[in-house]
Amino acid sequence: MRFAITMFSLLGIASIIGTVLKQNEPYNDYIIKFGQFWFNIFEKLGLYNVYQAFWFLLILIFLIISTSLCISRNSPKILKDYKSFQDRIREKSLLAFKHSYQFKFEKFSTKKIISFLNLNNYKVKHKVIDGGDLIIAKKGDLQKLGYIFTHLSIVIISIGGLLDGNLVFKIQELTGVKQIQLEDQPLSEIPKSGKMSENNLSYRASILLSEGDTKTAAILRAKEGYLVQEIPFSITLKDFKIEHYSTGQPKSFKSNLLVTDKETGKSINKTISVNKPLTYKGVTIYQAAFEDGGSKLDLLVWNLNSSQPAVQMNSEIFKNNELTFERQKLTFEFNDFRNFNILDVIQNDEQKLKLKPTNVGPNFLYKVRNESGQAKEYQTFQLPIIVDDKYFFMSGMRNSPQEEFKYLKIPADHNLSIEGFMILKSLLNDPTKVKYAIDNGIKQSAFKNIEQKKAFELGTRNVINAFIKGGYDFVIRDMDLNIPQEASIIDKEKAIKTYINIIFLISQELINTYKENNKEKIIFPENDSPRFIQDALTAYSDSFFYGIPLYLELKDFKHVQASGLQLTKSPGKPWVYLGSILLVLGIFCMIYIQEIRLWIFKKKGSKNLIVSLATNRDRLDFDKEALKVRDQIKRITN
Amino acid sequence: MIEKIKEKFLKSYFALILAVLTAYAILKFNKFMDIYEIFILIGSTITFSWMAKVWPNFRDLFTSILLFSFISIFLYQGSLEQIELNFVLKYFLASQSAIMWMTALYPLSLTIYWIHLFTKQDFYGNLATRITWIATMIGFVGLLVRWYESYLIGIDVGHIPVSNLYEVFVLFCLITSLLYLHYEEKLKEKKLGAFVLIIITAAVGFILWYTFEKGADQIQPLVPALQSYWMKIHVPANFIGYGAFSIAAMISVAYLLKEKNILVKYLPELNILDEMTYKSISIGFIFFTIATILGAIWAAEAWGGYWSWDPKETWALIVWLNYAAWLHLRLIKGLRGSLLAWWSLAGLAVTTFAFLGVNLFLSGLHSYGEL
Ligand code: HEM
Repeated sequence: MRFAITMFSLLGIASIIGTVLKQNEPYNDYIIKFGQFWFNIFEKLGLYNVYQAFWFLLILIFLIISTSLCISRNSPKILKDYKSFQDRIREKSLLAFKHSYQFKFEKFSTKKIISFLNLNNYKVKHKVIDGGDLIIAKKGDLQKLGYIFTHLSIVIISIGGLLDGNLVFKIQELTGVKQIQLEDQPLSEIPKSGKMSENNLSYRASILLSEGDTKTAAILRAKEGYLVQEIPFSITLKDFKIEHYSTGQPKSFKSNLLVTDKETGKSINKTISVNKPLTYKGVTIYQAAFEDGGSKLDLLVWNLNSSQPAVQMNSEIFKNNELTFERQKLTFEFNDFRNFNILDVIQNDEQKLKLKPTNVGPNFLYKVRNESGQAKEYQTFQLPIIVDDKYFFMSGMRNSPQEEFKYLKIPADHNLSIEGFMILKSLLNDPTKVKYAIDNGIKQSAFKNIEQKKAFELGTRNVINAFIKGGYDFVIRDMDLNIPQEASIIDKEKAIKTYINIIFLISQELINTYKENNKEKIIFPENDSPRFIQDALTAYSDSFFYGIPLYLELKDFKHVQASGLQLTKSPGKPWVYLGSILLVLGIFCMIYIQEIRLWIFKKKGSKNLIVSLATNRDRLDFDKEALKVRDQIKRITN
Repeated sequence: MIEKIKEKFLKSYFALILAVLTAYAILKFNKFMDIYEIFILIGSTITFSWMAKVWPNFRDLFTSILLFSFISIFLYQGSLEQIELNFVLKYFLASQSAIMWMTALYPLSLTIYWIHLFTKQDFYGNLATRITWIATMIGFVGLLVRWYESYLIGIDVGHIPVSNLYEVFVLFCLITSLLYLHYEEKLKEKKLGAFVLIIITAAVGFILWYTFEKGADQIQPLVPALQSYWMKIHVPANFIGYGAFSIAAMISVAYLLKEKNILVKYLPELNILDEMTYKSISIGFIFFTIATILGAIWAAEAWGGYWSWDPKETWALIVWLNYAAWLHLRLIKGLRGSLLAWWSLAGLAVTTFAFLGVNLFLSGLHSYGEL
């Protein structure tokens, strides 16, 4: 008993450690958290996967043994008690009970008393001692069996748990028969020591399947590495579907699977979802997770600071593309694609502007790495998103995962396309067109003399050039260099306003010329053009803070999803369930059934009746119960 | 006279009425229920009929809950807009309003229980009991109407309101007070309301903070893992456990006070307190055991294993071991007195951690009710 309690306490403490220290994280995270020294000690103690640690399993085994011993020691006595009526009791000991009553009776009929007791669910025995009558009765003796039920149930549950644990693997690992694999390698190259056979008693393995893929084995995570778990069938993912609520939260994940028996070649086709797994050949297949399965992306790479046309790029999620930019080799690493994104977007809802969760369409996530290995991370939405009543193409950039994305907001043109902006940035970067626009602008304004005109032309050219090279920042920097120190802040502000206006007017000029030359295409209509130009110029200026001035436009995609399946074989489950039923029964018996023993003794020739009651557990209710029984017997015998 | 007719009518026909309503529900809504849910519905009908038979006050409570819920549903006329337009809904019977009434009434009854404790006047005792009944009734109406409201948001959004921390806190208040009312009636002992209602009022405080600070009273659709009939049994069973353990802890407070000669004149006898603590813990223990087992069976269906050592599971085990130890000490060693009272108070801390702390500090599969 002591030992069992110690084991239970250890189990409790170990469990607490397991919840406080996050389990099964990458080992690097632990090293950062604890430092190398403590990391090593904790690893030796198995604290990163407590529940699979050797000592944890040992506790379970000790618990099983000690509880079994406990049962085997106590059960015989309990069973004997259960059967016995305790009929060897003597008058003296009867009178010694706390609940013992004596009273005179009129007529004594054993038959009547027995039938009364039977009616009240007592089991009754009648015996003649020294010519006197002894009636022995008892009820609630199931309570005694409660002990056996509960304690047996603990043994059964623990055994079930052990069956489903990885004790066998632990031993194989200790003896070197099996080895955890640390490197990624193709299935065919994994040695036998890295594979668990189909006959493995129990496991919880996982499979990640892209749509259309077939896999014939699963992966068992173990510490920092993995093992291959062979399975008696192959699984093909025909289709994976996510459904959403109208508010955007995910509603269901469904995998349409084709499971083909390796032995017979027979297949079954079934759709599984969360809470609706499929069991085949003792292996249960669960919908556990999902991710991108290598979606195909058709991209256009735009250089935001040049007039060059866009370059095509075709890629896939989890693939890398290379591109030379300004004599540097850049690697584009595509990491994720999401078809469905819920953001709180301002929507005009019944004449009221409201933030509403809305699907803003696909986005993709990628990193651009330079030759020295540094990377910036980008998140780009395919479709324009409404901000302040206008549509913008949003693309976020950050230097490290700890940062928030900073978004570049490119205004959509009349056709809700990014083309308008790209035309404008090309025009701005075309020196002949800019010169033409400046000349045109000057023509339209009146100057007193050539000098003034020259000065204005030079100024304008400088401002525009600065803007093209570095956005508003450069314009302001140049201004600080050119304007005399003593100029007041008001003067400076005036100058900035003038410069911004000049940039705006020249851009408008560029666009007007473009419109005249491309009459058939309506990209910049008359009425909303000023605001578009302002937003576009802001975006152009911001593009200098975009890390690398390459914008990836997602022209088209083919969404390929991958479904994360879990494969579980757990032969201990029926035992655990059986044990659970027994446990509930046992607790019920022990707590809610009260064992009562009752003796009624009439000595030969005596007019006195002795009624004694006993219970193994003293409770307040029992006092009342005892008095009630006494009174009823009094009534019967009167 | 009317009382008498009502009494007679309900006594004879309650189970029948419930059975008819159940049959109607099954006929009308069977396409929204799977076979297990139909079984759960029938099982609930049987349970409630039985409870109504052995506990007439419960029957009256149940009848009122049904009556007010139906009135409320009728007033909705199938549209959430009615909450703003209809006076009765807006101020009384819409789910939020009903729950707000509940949060107002529990603290009120706590106050009156204390007045009763000191004045020893039956008037206050009866008043407090009555208010607790009304608070419980209106709270249940709030939950049931919330259930209905969730279907008005969207047929696919509809679900039983035990899916997040806000909803289960309301449930906790209701179940705890119902359990307490049962003991109060059985033991004819109203003094302990002054203690039990403390924990309920604390929960009410949390609900209010959670509503006004975090806007947590919004109905959210269910994530896929929760879409199972298991939720309908696992969660309520757990909360009977939590509720009973909390009652035990609050009675232990009374026990410890009495033992330390505080409020001696006003508190019930020590052995009564001791007995009540034991009764609560044993009720709690059996429900908590069942709930944990049901949770395991559900986990085997949703997460791919009946036991994943997820923090919530693990803490449920710790709570369970704790009370198993308590019961051992009392039943086998025959221990009584202050050690067990302190232990049951400490048990409340462990239980609270399993209930709230895990959500606050630990992450895992059970992260449905994050703060
Ligand atoms: C967590 C698991 C356990 C639970 C829930 C549990 C429950 C109980 C309960 C409620 C009782 C009271 C029964 C009574 O007085 O008739 C009891 C009795 C007892 N338990 Fe446990 N128990 C557990 C584990 C153990 C273990 C592991 C041992 C021994 C190694 C043990 C030894 C005993 C003994 C000796 C009794 C007294 C039996 C009697 O004479 O009635 N228990 N148990």
